[in-house]
Amino acid sequence: MTNQASIQPTGQVFDIGYQHYDGPREGRNRSRLAVYKDGIKIALGLGRGARAKILPFVFIGILVVVALVMALIAGAADRFAGEGAADALNLPSHAEYYSIASIILFIFAAIAAPELLCPDRRDGVINLYLVRPLTGTDYIAARWGAFLSVMLIVVWLPQLILLTGLVMGDPEPVDYLKDNWTDVPKFLAAGAAMAVYVSTIAMLTAAFTTRRAYASAFLVGLFVITTPFTIGLAEEIGGTIGQWISMFNLSNIPIHVNDIIFDETSDVTQGLPATELPEWVRVAWFFAWTIGPGAIIWQKYRRLAP
Amino acid sequence: METLLVANKLTKHYKDVVALDDVSFEIQDGITGLLGENGAGKSTAIKIILGLIEPTSGGAEILGQDASEDIVVRSRLGYMPEHDCLPTNATASGFLTHMAEVSGLPPSQARSRAADTLRHVGLFEERYRSMGGYSTGMKQRVKLAQALVHDPAMVLLDEPTAGLDPAGREEMLDLVRKTHREFGISILFSSHLMADVERTCDRIVVLQGGKLIESGEVTKFTEETETVFIEVDDRREELVEVLQSKGVEIVPDGNGIYVEGEGESLYDSVRDALVESEAPLRRMGPRRRPLTELFEHEGEDFSEVRSS
Repeated sequence: MTNQASIQPTGQVFDIGYQHYDGPREGRNRSRLAVYKDGIKIALGLGRGARAKILPFVFIGILVVVALVMALIAGAADRFAGEGAADALNLPSHAEYYSIASIILFIFAAIAAPELLCPDRRDGVINLYLVRPLTGTDYIAARWGAFLSVMLIVVWLPQLILLTGLVMGDPEPVDYLKDNWTDVPKFLAAGAAMAVYVSTIAMLTAAFTTRRAYASAFLVGLFVITTPFTIGLAEEIGGTIGQWISMFNLSNIPIHVNDIIFDETSDVTQGLPATELPEWVRVAWFFAWTIGPGAIIWQKYRRLAP
Repeated sequence: METLLVANKLTKHYKDVVALDDVSFEIQDGITGLLGENGAGKSTAIKIILGLIEPTSGGAEILGQDASEDIVVRSRLGYMPEHDCLPTNATASGFLTHMAEVSGLPPSQARSRAADTLRHVGLFEERYRSMGGYSTGMKQRVKLAQALVHDPAMVLLDEPTAGLDPAGREEMLDLVRKTHREFGISILFSSHLMADVERTCDRIVVLQGGKLIESGEVTKFTEETETVFIEVDDRREELVEVLQSKGVEIVPDGNGIYVEGEGESLYDSVRDALVESEAPLRRMGPRRRPLTELFEHEGEDFSEVRSS
């Protein structure tokens, strides 16, 4: 027989009907942050299937491997050919990294950037963003900021690995750092220039099509085709016009800035007519190619309505 | 009753096209239908209300604020667009959590609100499936859920039954009614389908060619008529014969019969005919005027609408 007094309540009844939300509403800044975080996740394939992660991480892996190989070669030269051999052999280092890796960076941007803008417009999700406490300007700034953040990681991470490798490979790591510390702000600045430029050009292309494949193909074509085309034409014409034609080599625009920051000419810009132009012209050209496309993207999105 | 939305002399011109012409109306707590044909100006009105486009003249205030001047008011509004707006490669749960955050909710609250809202629209079990594999009805529910996930004071639904089969349409209308009656959220229901509006809404605002045609309580337009509607389970032919023999004017309609006439004697005739024909009565009552008749009387052509 059951003892009634010993029966203890074993469950609770919850009202799972509709509950109104009385918590905080964090307004426009929360909206911007949500779009920014989502953009970073999309660019890196986070929170999605394995297939979405493969491409970004393969490219990041390649960039890191390039840096590792450069560090290993420099370290091996110093250890096997004697201290200072790496400098004597003029092996590529921080100043040359972006010119070596630029094509990989461009392809990464060409593949990743359209993911942030094209599907939102193709699927109509943009209409749901714009009816929330978020303007078109907020949306595109958050997306651009997200892709720039990813690009900064992508451009700085290999340089940091290269620096670590060079420091560890040197027989006198502390002395190496003392002698070469200025490389750090230089590669941070050159990397930032590369990231801003590539992000903006890639987002501009993605802003004008709803098809990711078209945007990617166009971007790769833009960076790859302008190089032989401008080199050939600039040599043929020569003079000031040749110098300006050479400036339209779109893949070299951030490399000119890199050269100016490191005060040395990269292999890819060596001997190009554009390098004969004053430094301020090449820097202004870089700003024109970042601010101009940025303004076009902003114009496109600021008045966007469902 | 609280006034949630005031449209004051809204006018919108797109070059030579007049999308809205001096339209004024007020919307109170409840379900209000925004009725009109395609191109009547419904979507333009909604865009102005949400502050997405500027009117040529006039203005609109929702929840006491002009959304074009202070977009933060949109964190208390929900909007369900007519057209596709869902990412195909996301789960309903992830997507709703993100949309709740974009509406201003902190991440932890956004996650729990997303799960709750999906349960309320009947998609709790499917919440971790990619939306690319959802049926049209399920997609419509997610579209409604994203409009509700941040617990708005008012939602604007643009053709919520578009593309649904009859069963799906019924379910969606039930959800819309439930959203107001159980969740206490006011609704502006834009549609070109009079039947949907008539069955769901308390009040209507009718637009045509950018002008306001009518506005008011639905019951005002669907008042009872003198006509009696009868539906019987059997012996319908016999009933018709008896009614005709009594000289009563009848109009057969599907399974039912409309009996035209005036005064108390009409009901006496119907009663006698039912007894005489021995037809088992299922339903009898005064006929309500359908909304479509409103436009027939106004000389407006909603033929396309009636056929749906």
